[in-house]
Amino acid sequence: MTRRIIQIDLNRVEGDLDFQLELQDNKVVDARCIGSLYRGFEQILMTRKPKDSLVITPRICGICGTAQLNAAVLALEHIGHISVPPAAIRIRNLCLMAETVQSDLRQSFMFFTADFCHAKYIHQPLYEKALAAFLPFKGRVHRGALEQSRHIVEIIALFGGQWPHSSYMLPGGVTTPASNRNIIDSLSILNKLTRWFEQAIIGTELDSLLALQSAEEFFTWLTAKEAHADSAIGLFTLMGRDIGLHNMGFGTPHMISYGAYDDPDDAGTFAPHRKHLFRSGFLNGDTGGIEPFDQAEITEHVRYSWFQPYQGGRHPFKGQTIPDYQPHSDRYTWCKAPRYQNKVVQTGPLADALIDGEPLIHSLYLAEGGNAWLRQFARLHRTARLLHKMRKTLQELAAHPNATHMIPPGKKEIPDGEGFGLVTAARGALGHWVQITDGVISRYQVVTPTAWNASPKDSEGRHGHWESSLLGLAVEDPDDPVEIGHIIRSHDPCLVCTVHLLDTGKRITVWP
Amino acid sequence: MGARHIVCFGNDLHGDDGFGSRVYALLCQLTWPKDVELFNAGIAGLNALRFLEGCSQAILVDALANFGNAGEIFLLRPEDLADRPEQPASHGLGIPYLLEAIKVIREPQPDILIVGVEITGVKPFSPGLSDKTERAVPKTVQLIRCLLPE
Repeated sequence: MTRRIIQIDLNRVEGDLDFQLELQDNKVVDARCIGSLYRGFEQILMTRKPKDSLVITPRICGICGTAQLNAAVLALEHIGHISVPPAAIRIRNLCLMAETVQSDLRQSFMFFTADFCHAKYIHQPLYEKALAAFLPFKGRVHRGALEQSRHIVEIIALFGGQWPHSSYMLPGGVTTPASNRNIIDSLSILNKLTRWFEQAIIGTELDSLLALQSAEEFFTWLTAKEAHADSAIGLFTLMGRDIGLHNMGFGTPHMISYGAYDDPDDAGTFAPHRKHLFRSGFLNGDTGGIEPFDQAEITEHVRYSWFQPYQGGRHPFKGQTIPDYQPHSDRYTWCKAPRYQNKVVQTGPLADALIDGEPLIHSLYLAEGGNAWLRQFARLHRTARLLHKMRKTLQELAAHPNATHMIPPGKKEIPDGEGFGLVTAARGALGHWVQITDGVISRYQVVTPTAWNASPKDSEGRHGHWESSLLGLAVEDPDDPVEIGHIIRSHDPCLVCTVHLLDTGKRITVWP
Repeated sequence: MGARHIVCFGNDLHGDDGFGSRVYALLCQLTWPKDVELFNAGIAGLNALRFLEGCSQAILVDALANFGNAGEIFLLRPEDLADRPEQPASHGLGIPYLLEAIKVIREPQPDILIVGVEITGVKPFSPGLSDKTERAVPKTVQLIRCLLPE
């Protein structure tokens, strides 16, 4: 029996991430997901005025800054019992959807499908088609994604003045109304992207794809027309399944979703009492049932993290983030280990779709489980849903242009108290938990989607989701582990701006 | 004639990786012709494509590795980076990636020059340039000035 350890770098500027895998006879027997960069945002926020969070937290990420801003403002509105007008909710939703669409398209076609062009697959029947579509800078889909994805966030710039790192959501609403001009400009951007998506990505109209209700219907549709099979989603599916993506990368069966996009028809109340357009919940992998989600069931462990130790897990309102780097111990990451009902869970578009009850994703999940192909397919399917929902949102805004976009809160300052803001970012469940004492922030805890998914082991020694999705995987060539790349990328690691520091050659760099 | 852009890349927090930002700071102190615009792209990655729009000429400023001796200044054309898809000192999706991307999305393409200095090394979370890199900053500014006459 041979045993070896391989190190996989997922380095980037804004938050380094490595995988350390132990192989025995080319099978993964242990996995450690290493967050190698301490960020310190929670400390930065301490003792600041509450509304500073609206400027600081969008800087947490260069891709999901809108989601961070939304979570931050919802937490403040929770504390101050502040409601917002329906138009403000629609504008917030529209911008958050735009950000997610960009992220999903880039993740899918600039990173995930590029692996299909790996020389290992040269004998695959669809290899030539994959090259023509997905080869970086040469393939038509890669080129199209590069060009088309960059415009959609201009919608955020129309309402927020800039993207990324915008601060246009304030307690009580947003800074700009939906003028006719902004609505028309947004529609123009959306129309252009939707046309490309229909032609190049799905080979049909949005409504036709969204009408598919079951695995059987989908696979019949896939081969019914050449345009379907040759579309990006068709090629991704056919080749993805040829190379076995539907048989790998399952991870934990438990999933959570905070629910996505506040319901503008429920604007009279404040978060977290507001309903969502896409439902929240906990998919219990033991029973297969979907249970109501309760944020009180969240805890974070630090047993294997470089933080000052505490026993077991703590709810974010009792959370503690005191860095304590211990390089020569069995601790191995700057990530905490969040757990829900003391279970290891995963989050992301697959979890969101299943918990929302989306019939096609649910049917595929029942047939084959939550594998790497389905996780990626759910992400692309979400783009179709969001493009559809963005159009509807713009139509609703157009019905009442320049409608009230802000209800100034009764009090100028956010009062002392505690609150939380939960949103669905591109990578899944994102939460901010805030406590205010004597007019300043006394505790700020952020639990990101990547914290859930890239979690290390917890107090009971249980691996996090990404780690467990790699355990047992057979790797054909440990020096070029393309299978691992597929699985890691299917989780959409939060690698905002990837840097590839190729050093000794002993390390292997995998893009997001 | 379209605008001329100077786009500086770098991360102030990582030692010599902050070369581009340092050059940007000095460039901002000078008076430039109306058609010249300065941008500090920092670690914008793919989003830096925006800074290459609407210009007929662009000068990109960045730290370099494995081009020559530390502190040496280089004036490069995109083709000089063609066989260096993963430049050790690049930021985010670095300059080679951007140069490939610009071919896809811009037609006609701007005339691009890259001005860089061979750095001593990237030191994570150690703000400040090494002596050799610091000495190259004013010379780099001078070179850029000569490249963009009135």
